[in-house]
Amino acid sequence: MKKKTLPKSSSQEPNLKGTIISVSIIGLIIVASWFGVFGLFLSR
Amino acid sequence: MHLHKYEKWWLIFGVGTLIAFLLILAYGAFYLGTHPQSHGVTIDPENIGAEETFKPENLGLTKLDEGKYVLNVVASAFNYDLGTDEEGKPVKHIQIPKGSTVLIQAVTPDVIHGFNIAGTNANMMVEPGFISSMEVTLNKPGEYTLLCNEYCGSGHHMMFATVEVTE
Repeated sequence: MKKKTLPKSSSQEPNLKGTIISVSIIGLIIVASWFGVFGLFLSR
Repeated sequence: MHLHKYEKWWLIFGVGTLIAFLLILAYGAFYLGTHPQSHGVTIDPENIGAEETFKPENLGLTKLDEGKYVLNVVASAFNYDLGTDEEGKPVKHIQIPKGSTVLIQAVTPDVIHGFNIAGTNANMMVEPGFISSMEVTLNKPGEYTLLCNEYCGSGHHMMFATVEVTE
């Protein structure tokens, strides 16, 4: 029995590399600013 | 449901952050006992003087012990009542040796005021009907401004005093 293959267009995943990089940059900025403010609180 | 690999990473990061912050919040609230500065200790705003702590002679900075102070303040539109000096003049400048812990207790007879010693962690709201209190340790010598950071009316900008942390 031959396996039925799906048409190529629907099985292909979108390329989200740029998306993960850009959201990670924003995420890191938020995390870094949180630690910055926390450091300010501890030092005062 | 199909999710892209990167979407999974991002969801794990997002949910993980949420859990981490909830744990930090719970640690602060239940283990360290952190709470808002006016957390249910009440006072009659129309009769503040009835409370021993806020009688005119008890206002201002009082030394309890070596390195231990109490600062009682009545914040009203548009003044911080920090008691009077020997000549009977209102105190607008207080000096605290560095490294001392200061228990600040503040009330207001009229509207919401702020109590902020700019550049330190002493920062709280003063609400009519509640006693706001917090303990701070002042480690860095210098002159700081005590100011109102809750808009309280036309003379809001005139509400200030200076706090000097001495060597």
